[in-house]
Amino acid sequence: MIPPLDELLHARTGPMTADMVLHPADFGLGRMPARLQPAATTTSVCGFCSTGCSLRIHLNAAGEAINLSPDRDHPVNLGMACPKGWEALTPLAAPDRATTPLLRESKSGALAPVSWERALAAFTETFKGIQQKHGPHSIAFLSTGQIVMEEMALLGALFKFGMGGLHCDSNTRQCMATSHVAYKQSFGFDAPPFTYADFEESDALIFIGANPCIAHPIMWQRVMMNQRSPEIVVIDPRATETAQAATLHVPLRPKSDLTLLYGLAHLLVARGAVKMDFVKKHTNGFEAFVTFLADFTLDRVAAETGLPAATLHRLVEIITTRERVSFWWTMGVNQSHEATRTAQAIINLALMTGNIGRPGTGANSITGQCNAMGSRLFGNATSLLGGHDFGNPAHRDKIADALGLDPARIPEKTGYAYDQILDAIDRGEIRALWVIATNTAHSWINQRHAQEILGKLDFLVVQDMYATTETARMADLVLPAAGWGEKEGVLINSERRLGVVRKVARAPGQALSDFAIFQLVAEAWGCGGMFRAWRTPEAAFQLLKNISAGQPCDFSGIRDYEHIAASGGIQWPFPNSVGAQSCCALSEYEPGPQQDCAPTLIRQRRLFTDGRFFHADGRAKFLFDPPRPMPELPDAAYPFILLTGRGSSAQWHTGSRTDKSAVLRKLAPTILTMEIHPDDAERLGLAAGDQAEIRSRRGTATATTIVTATVQRGQIFLPMHFDAVNRLTFPAFDPHSRQPSYKACAVAVTKG
Amino acid sequence: MVASPKNFPLIAELLAEQQRLQTPVAQFATAHDAGVSFVPQLIPLSLPGPGEQYAFEVDLDSCTGCKACVSACHSLNGLDDEETWRDVGLVVSPSRAHPFTQTVTTACHHCADPACLNGCPVLAYEKDPITGVVVHLDDQCIGCSYCVLKCPYDVPKFSERLGIVRKCDMCHSRLAAGEAPACAQACPTHAIKIVTVQSNVGRSATSGVDTSSFLHAAPDPSYTQPTTRYISSRPLPENLVAADATTLRVQPAHWPLVIMLTLLPAAVGLQIASLGSASKLSTLNAQLLPLAAAAAGGLGLLASVFHLGRPLRAWRIFLGWRKSWLSREAMVFGAWFPLTVLAAVAPHFSQLSRFNFQSLPMVTATIGTLGLVCSAMIYVDTRRHFWRAAQTFPRFFGTALVVAAACLAPLAAIPLLAFKLALESRTFFFGEVSARLQRGPLARAAVARDLCGLTALVLLTAAPVWLALAPLLAGELAERYLFFRAVDAPKMPGVPSA
Repeated sequence: MIPPLDELLHARTGPMTADMVLHPADFGLGRMPARLQPAATTTSVCGFCSTGCSLRIHLNAAGEAINLSPDRDHPVNLGMACPKGWEALTPLAAPDRATTPLLRESKSGALAPVSWERALAAFTETFKGIQQKHGPHSIAFLSTGQIVMEEMALLGALFKFGMGGLHCDSNTRQCMATSHVAYKQSFGFDAPPFTYADFEESDALIFIGANPCIAHPIMWQRVMMNQRSPEIVVIDPRATETAQAATLHVPLRPKSDLTLLYGLAHLLVARGAVKMDFVKKHTNGFEAFVTFLADFTLDRVAAETGLPAATLHRLVEIITTRERVSFWWTMGVNQSHEATRTAQAIINLALMTGNIGRPGTGANSITGQCNAMGSRLFGNATSLLGGHDFGNPAHRDKIADALGLDPARIPEKTGYAYDQILDAIDRGEIRALWVIATNTAHSWINQRHAQEILGKLDFLVVQDMYATTETARMADLVLPAAGWGEKEGVLINSERRLGVVRKVARAPGQALSDFAIFQLVAEAWGCGGMFRAWRTPEAAFQLLKNISAGQPCDFSGIRDYEHIAASGGIQWPFPNSVGAQSCCALSEYEPGPQQDCAPTLIRQRRLFTDGRFFHADGRAKFLFDPPRPMPELPDAAYPFILLTGRGSSAQWHTGSRTDKSAVLRKLAPTILTMEIHPDDAERLGLAAGDQAEIRSRRGTATATTIVTATVQRGQIFLPMHFDAVNRLTFPAFDPHSRQPSYKACAVAVTKG
Repeated sequence: MVASPKNFPLIAELLAEQQRLQTPVAQFATAHDAGVSFVPQLIPLSLPGPGEQYAFEVDLDSCTGCKACVSACHSLNGLDDEETWRDVGLVVSPSRAHPFTQTVTTACHHCADPACLNGCPVLAYEKDPITGVVVHLDDQCIGCSYCVLKCPYDVPKFSERLGIVRKCDMCHSRLAAGEAPACAQACPTHAIKIVTVQSNVGRSATSGVDTSSFLHAAPDPSYTQPTTRYISSRPLPENLVAADATTLRVQPAHWPLVIMLTLLPAAVGLQIASLGSASKLSTLNAQLLPLAAAAAGGLGLLASVFHLGRPLRAWRIFLGWRKSWLSREAMVFGAWFPLTVLAAVAPHFSQLSRFNFQSLPMVTATIGTLGLVCSAMIYVDTRRHFWRAAQTFPRFFGTALVVAAACLAPLAAIPLLAFKLALESRTFFFGEVSARLQRGPLARAAVARDLCGLTALVLLTAAPVWLALAPLLAGELAERYLFFRAVDAPKMPGVPSA
């Protein structure tokens, strides 16, 4: 039959058209192309940031992930995700995945594929040999906030209880150590008190050193859903995307935040705006704090922060007149030379104004990595498993009992922090290092020095999805790891919500989950018997759940992974029996649909609703210290302050995963860009698009100029994702949290 | 002791376990309620009326630059790894008083007067008479990429895998089912909506939309009447610039087109020369010129086939003749070539002598000239500055005339070529994008072009013509290469890139 002329001339159908035609899909997914129709779906919590978005993974009939979309039913993300989440499966298929163990050949000096048997033998023989020669504590590991809780716990337990090591830390030192210490000292436990609904229920949201538009887009979505016409205040030296969307931007001088916060406290006291009944009933140390504040006069604070007095009054006005005030901080606070006291100055403001334990309030630390909270509780580095103390014999006995160990195997003290481990390598005290899912050679402050130090090791093991990271390329042994989506386990998000990740893709070649690798190392080391109960991640979860019992983070009431998934994640505390040893009042649970049903969990829960904190006396502490100047001030030779931060929501940290997605690569600048004020640019003869050379006392970087008044005069901004940036940064650390101060150092800028 | 599979069975066990996935029927697979999530506030409740169409509306105040729209479009439409139909860029105000940066999300603007549609030689674009959505017919497309050159917003994307262009269709089948487009569904702050706007779709020659809500710092909307509305509750600074405004983007060379557009003018030039050859030709055989013209024409047209991603569909190329200069060019040269071959071979076959072919050289030269007009208009019609008529016509016809002159009277070719070189060199100066490209990343090609041209000038003074023709043609080839690579291709604001 001859087709009608129009059909012949206009090919409106055909294979290419059919390829893109959308058909209604099952599982509430709306219309999808035929080739992407899922046979089933499952949910998995995203493995990038700490927001903890639930992603609905689309599976084919073989159970393999073919696509994903955000989970509409999840209380965290409400059907939304940022581009990293949308692209979460793409990095798994990258061509440079590590597919076999690689061992550096002594002859050629190159990394060559070896069997797992050979790799494990090399690992155990070398580590044991170094321990015999240099002592049991001459080995160390640096781990991550990017793997599941069960893996972190097994690693920490294996290393300290099985291998006899002491010094270990993780990259959460770079992001969350400050919040951990600040909360622990102030509240008695590392306990972020908020739930995401507080974004929506607040009358005033005060962001300090936080840029959620870029860093946590889905949290910003919750802010935008706030129906209470809130004041949104952003305290940040730079007019960030969030600051531009705020109702008030407070462009203070870099690292003057502690002074500002004390100044605000001083004004609140002077104004008589302190909620004395709350302070008297639930806190300690307020009188001493008031005495301390006397020095922070309006004039001094205005002079040191560079802010007009009117701005300070406006801030105090907002804090006193709005009923529900919430304070939110991120890396601008945590990465500072006086970070812990700054975080606690925020906590102090919330305590003295009674803005805690009520909807829309709180001193709230927004976490960085997807499982930084898991690492804080179960990394077994600073705290013994489950937020216990190594120094407490009762705690050691409890853990030994729960794991069926000899208590003597548990060290009585904590080991070195990240920077101290690197220093010990520098001194020759630590000779072997095991790096798991982090990229020290790129991300550590004063990067060149860190690379030199790594070069001094007798043996460097890197366990990663990719053998191509800056650190893996330096390794003597590379262990190929399965990634997010190729394994199971639990992540804990910013609001203490446990979520499950699923195995929906096959790991390439011989890559194994970190959990399996730790099991193999235990077996090869000869201490496998100690970890027989850690058969699977879910078996390990049952152990950890028991360990958590009686702690503020008690989640012993969770049945299993399915319970978590079916509940849309479960926030800790979730103790075994409601009301027994519970940190939250009974009102936190509502009855089930029928009276005889078990209580149903309220999906959004916050801490301290009863005003009881985790110190033995139930009171929170006011903690403070005089501010200190930033360690490297600008001078004639290095007149600019370098600010760093996230540059784009399409990039994650050192880019080892996000750079693998063509879509994400398109969405972020592919070249390092420098933001500089128009006046400075004019003075230096720099026009938009010009190459600029940025020098610090430690290194040099080249960047393309963006001229914008979003940065103040005398300051420049560089996004942290490019490896040149940490060649410049100055190695200063908070004395309490040992967190590096990435955000401010002195640099010089010239036309390149 | 090295462990072996025998004494270390756990390795094999864990490797096997690593490869085991839960199947759809396994423990956790949770089938969810079928049914479509309807998001009414993001799409209009009724179809556009007469004189109206659908359009994207972007609330800049709500857009935080998270870029989920790009990823969602990519994932939910199942695009190729590198393919994106939506992009997010950045605009910056250099103002000191009001620091301002704004991310801008853009997809197809579903223009009221779509340049892609107007330029398509095979009518592979259709503007939906009711919704106004500009739809691309993937099975109609021949992969000529002319729409890529025509669209001032860099919307159509060529797929190497498929050999065709694809682009955003506003998820029109989702819209038809009451679902929001993928980008709108995925925006955490509901910054992207579909709205109904006034537009005289296909109703009058003066079709148009109100483009006052189009973005500053984007290419001039008067050309295609883009319908996207960028709204903000605060007035945007006037002096916004795209963050990638200074990024130099060397454009694709399109080698088949470079060859075609060098050889076809040369062929026409040879035909022109053959007209005057009877009386004036001294160095070249009068019968050789038509043969050379046919050979050059044949090679040029052959090269053009390699430009097409889907040449087998190209038989429909006449369809767009009403609006598309590419369609017209194909038709004119399609008629020209058989006549050119005839003109070349007729004198060699006595059997044909009973036909009168005397006027054939004139006819072919005339048709060829007409073809060159179409060729030039293809580029002029893109409204790209570098391809303006004052450059394109002298370049294309310059090649033809210099070749013709070189064959007839080499000395006459010298001022012509010198003039052409001078005209081209104008584009090396001033701050224009093309100038910066030719002085920067394309500097070597630019120098090569001038060296060839100058060599040809010298040789034309004394050497045999065939010796001068080699550098002359090489120079023209380099000039055409620069013509494509150094063009100022407009686009929506992007992000800085290398």
